[in-house]
Amino acid sequence: MASARKRTRVSKPIPVTGSQILIVVLAAFLATGVMILLDSDILRQDNVAGAALNYETGVTADGNPYKGSADAPLQMVLYSDFLCGHCSGLAASLEQISPEYIETGKLKVIFKNYAFMTPESILAAEASECALDQDADAFWRYHDLLYNSQGRGLAAYTPSALKVYAEELGLDEEAFEQCLDGGSKAAAVQVDVDEGVAAGVQGTPTWFINGQMVPGAVPVDSLRAIMNELLEQ
Amino acid sequence: MSGTTTEMDKTATRSWQGHWRWLLMTLLVVAGIGVSGYLAWSHLMNQEIVCGQSQGCDIVDQSQYAELIIGNIPVSVMGLLSYLAMFLLLILRGRVLSEWDSYFPLAVFGISLSGMLFSLYLTYMELFVILGVCKWCVTSAAILTLIFLLSIAELRTVTA
Repeated sequence: MASARKRTRVSKPIPVTGSQILIVVLAAFLATGVMILLDSDILRQDNVAGAALNYETGVTADGNPYKGSADAPLQMVLYSDFLCGHCSGLAASLEQISPEYIETGKLKVIFKNYAFMTPESILAAEASECALDQDADAFWRYHDLLYNSQGRGLAAYTPSALKVYAEELGLDEEAFEQCLDGGSKAAAVQVDVDEGVAAGVQGTPTWFINGQMVPGAVPVDSLRAIMNELLEQ
Repeated sequence: MSGTTTEMDKTATRSWQGHWRWLLMTLLVVAGIGVSGYLAWSHLMNQEIVCGQSQGCDIVDQSQYAELIIGNIPVSVMGLLSYLAMFLLLILRGRVLSEWDSYFPLAVFGISLSGMLFSLYLTYMELFVILGVCKWCVTSAAILTLIFLLSIAELRTVTA
């Protein structure tokens, strides 16, 4: 007799067993563990800091740190924020071209703290000025360490973290702490910011090479091209 | 009884609660695709060479934890792929009635468990290490948690 309902030849679903669920749970935990391993600090390399500098350093007449020869034909004024990823990129590019331009006396880089992104930016800028108090070399080594610490986010700029950097670099800790805790460099940082605003700086990094303004972190090859062009003039 | 399933059996495997659960999970997954897609796009498109004023999501997005050390794969892309996989599983289950039908909810359960756990780790990192919270990341973590909880209920209907 024909059935009123059409019977479809479909297999009955195989139910899932408890052991299969357990295997999936273990696999999920394993996968998560692997991803955490690949994301967290466990496998990330420590940044090398405090290496000896290969170039001259000094302080300009108006109190800004520089690296390179004081009377180099190319004078760069660089406005940076220590929390800015692009500033870190430009700093790395400058390190890359350093043997060709800074160490050979062709380029001088003057640093100004355009600290505007977050309150941590201002504190990091003040800390760098406290390092500058000790000497220009200390400033640049502190500067390098600050940019290397960037990937961890705001935790890299707490007062205690900033003091740990000074300790790691072998700076005078007591003087540094007094300087940072006392907020004595707030005015100096504000001066840099005001100068930046007056010069037309809107974001970081913004740099001026022999007076010509260049906004942003340009690639290393473009940097070389700009330097070479100006050197020929 | 033969090894075939009647129309009645087919509908019995999907009760009204199952239907609503499936609908809710699918909506959550679609929302997750939207959120993780936006985060992935925004991370990959960060082509600006100048920093402006920073907000919570920028700080998290620019931290080293936004990418895996292998291949610099953005975690947002991992999230997007997980959501897309779950979407396929949810959509295809309705169309493929076979003996493997029960493994679809098992797979969704596994993916959402892993996604939820990893998102909880990332939320922890935001709160205690990066010290910056991105609301979209937290939203995705919440979505994955809800999907996971629903997937448990779904899994129970196909467990022996």
